[in-house]
Amino acid sequence: MSDTPLIELRNLVKHFTLSNGLFGRNKVVLKAVDGVDLLIRRGETLGLVGESGCGKSTLARTLIRLFQPTSGQMLFDGVDIAEMGEHALAPYRRRMQMIFQDPYASLNGRMTVRALIAEPLEIAGIGDEASRRVRVDQLLDTVGLNPDHATRFPHEFSGGQRQRIGIARAIALNPDLVICDEPISALDVSIQAQVVNMLEDLQAELGLTYLFITHDLSMVRHISNRIGVMYLGKIVEIAPNDALYKAPAHPYTQALLASIPVADPEARRDSAPMRGEVPTPIDIPSGCRFRTRCPFATDLCASVEPPLRELDGGHFAACHYAEKVMGRQMEAA
Amino acid sequence: MTAPLLSVSDLRTSFFTSRGEVQAVRGVSFELRPGEILGIVGESGSGKSITCMSLLGLLKSNGRVIGGSALFEGQDLLTLDDRDLRRLRGDEIGMIFQDPMTSLNPTLTVGEQVIETILRHRRISRAAARQRAIELFELVRIPSAAKRLRSYPHEFSGGMRQRVMIAIALSCDPKLLIADEPTTALDVTIQRQVLALLKELQSRLGMAVILITHDLGVIAETADRVLVMYGGMVMEEAPVRRIFARPSHPYTRGLLASIPDLRDGAHQRLTPIPGSPPDMRHPPAGCPFAPRCTHAMAQCANVLPPVYDVEPGHGSRCWLHHPEAPRVEGVNDRELA
Repeated sequence: MSDTPLIELRNLVKHFTLSNGLFGRNKVVLKAVDGVDLLIRRGETLGLVGESGCGKSTLARTLIRLFQPTSGQMLFDGVDIAEMGEHALAPYRRRMQMIFQDPYASLNGRMTVRALIAEPLEIAGIGDEASRRVRVDQLLDTVGLNPDHATRFPHEFSGGQRQRIGIARAIALNPDLVICDEPISALDVSIQAQVVNMLEDLQAELGLTYLFITHDLSMVRHISNRIGVMYLGKIVEIAPNDALYKAPAHPYTQALLASIPVADPEARRDSAPMRGEVPTPIDIPSGCRFRTRCPFATDLCASVEPPLRELDGGHFAACHYAEKVMGRQMEAA
Repeated sequence: MTAPLLSVSDLRTSFFTSRGEVQAVRGVSFELRPGEILGIVGESGSGKSITCMSLLGLLKSNGRVIGGSALFEGQDLLTLDDRDLRRLRGDEIGMIFQDPMTSLNPTLTVGEQVIETILRHRRISRAAARQRAIELFELVRIPSAAKRLRSYPHEFSGGMRQRVMIAIALSCDPKLLIADEPTTALDVTIQRQVLALLKELQSRLGMAVILITHDLGVIAETADRVLVMYGGMVMEEAPVRRIFARPSHPYTRGLLASIPDLRDGAHQRLTPIPGSPPDMRHPPAGCPFAPRCTHAMAQCANVLPPVYDVEPGHGSRCWLHHPEAPRVEGVNDRELA
C-alpha cells in the first residue's frame, strides 16, 4: 500500500453561474463548493455531513467529474484529474463509482437485473458475454441476491433489494473509491442496518475506500473513520469520528450534534435550538460564513475568514475560537 | 382518569386497486387523552399515516374505511358526512404534513391562506382575521410577521413554510393536532427548532397531538405515549420511557437494535431485522411480523396473537407473553410464568 492518499483535493472550487431577471441579464454566482481541501486515505471511510445546500453532493459530483471544477486540483492517486480530457480520464472514472440515494430512480426500469449489472462491464469493454455472465452471478451473490433474480426487473424488488442492485453495479469494475450519496436515506429503518452491514463487509473484503455522504449524523458516526462537516461550500471541521463527537471544536458542529434526536427519552435536552437558517450560497456572509448563526461571533469573525487549522492529531476546525468552543463542550460533558 | 378526547376502536381501512385489495389498516384501537402527545411510529406501509387519514376523511378515492369507530368528543368521525368533517378539520382538528410546499397554494400569499382558513371557521371581520393571522405568525416565531403575510410560499424556506402550516393548523385553537412526519423533509437543526416549537405550543395551548414518524429519536424526544405499528396493526403500546427502557415486542426490539447508539463510541455491528415487510394484499394470517421474527413459534404464522398487558398501560401483541410461552431474555423473562 503506498503512502499517496487515494484522493487529495486542493482548494477545490465549483461555482455555478445562474441567470435571473428579465432576459436573464442578471448573472449571479452560486458558490456550491468554495475552496475545499480534503484527503481521503486508502481503505478508510470518510463521512461528509452537512445540511441541504452545503455543497456535499456537488463536491462528490465534481470529484467524479460529472461537473467540471471551476478551479483547484483533484489528485487521484497522485495524478491531477481536474482538467484531464475525457479520453485520459476514462481509466480514472472506472476506479470511482457512485451509489445514489434513490434506488427507485437510479435504475433503468426496462433493463433486467442482469443487464443492469453487466452494463458497466460492457461499457468498460471487459470480458465477453460468457465471462460477464459469470461475473454478474458472482456479484449477485456478493450483494446477497439470488441468481434467479437476474432475469427480473427493478420494480419487482423492494427498496433494500434495489439498493443492493445499485451496489452490485458500483462494485462491478473493482473500483478503488465508492462514493455513497445518502445510500440509506430512502430506506426503512430495519432495512438501513442490512445495507450498512453489507457496505462494511464489502469494504473489508474488497479493500474499498468510501466517501459516505449523509445528513444522518447517527449512522455516519457508526460507519466512518473520519468525518468532515460542511457549511456553505466549505469544510468547517474534520476529525476522527470519536474526536468529532466527543469534542466538537466548531460551533456549527456542536449545534448540529445537539440537534440530533436521540432515541432515549431519559436524554431529553432543554438546550435551545440553534437560531436562524442557512444563508443562501449566492450571498455568503463575509469573514466566517457561520457567523450569522454563531453564538460566539465577534467583530473579528465578520472581517477575517478563519482558516481550517489543526488543533490536535488530525482534528481540524475553521474557527477563530476553536479552543474556547471545544473547552466549553468538555466542561458541559 | 380524564375521559379520552379521541377513542379509536377496531379501525379497518383498505384500498381497492387493480391488483387487489390492500389491507392497509387491520383493526387499530387506541385512546388519546386531552393534552397528550401520542407518537405513532412505524415503517413505510405500516398503516400509521392511513390510520390518521381515515380519521380525517382524507383517503384517496380508492380507499375506504371498512370497519370500526373513532369517537372524537363523543361523535363518530367515521360516520360524519363530508360537510361536517370539513367543518371539524381546521377547526377542532388541525393537521400538518411532511411537505409544506405541496400543502400550500403557490398562487396565494401565505397571509391570504391563513386569513381564509380563519374566515371559513369563524364569524369575524377580515380585519380581525388579519390581526389573528399576525398573532399566529408571531406565535410560531416567523420574524416580521405583518410583512411576511404578504409573501408567497416559494419565498419561504422549508422550515418557515412548516411554521406557516403550523400557524394555519392552530388558527382555530384545535383540541387535536395531527402531525404526519412534520419534520422529515427538514434539516436536522431546523427539525429541532420545529419540534421545540410544537412541544412549546402544545403545552401552552393544551391541545392533544398525534405525531406520526418513522424516527425513533423524534418519538423519544417528543411523545408522552407511543404506538408501534407494523403490518396495519398496533404491535406495542406504552408510555415513552417504558417503550425504550423495556421494549417487549420483538419488532420494537428489532427496530431499536437497527439504529446505531450515538452515546456508545464503540463500533458495534448493527443488528438488522432480516427480510422485508409483508405485502398488504396478502397479509400473513397470524402475526404480521412472524416471517421476520427470530423468536417465531409454530402458531405465530397461523394465529394472530392478542394484545397482552405486560404492565398496566403497556400492551404487546405477541404470543411470547402467553403464560405458557418459553422465556426469551428481554422480551418476557421478567414476567410471571
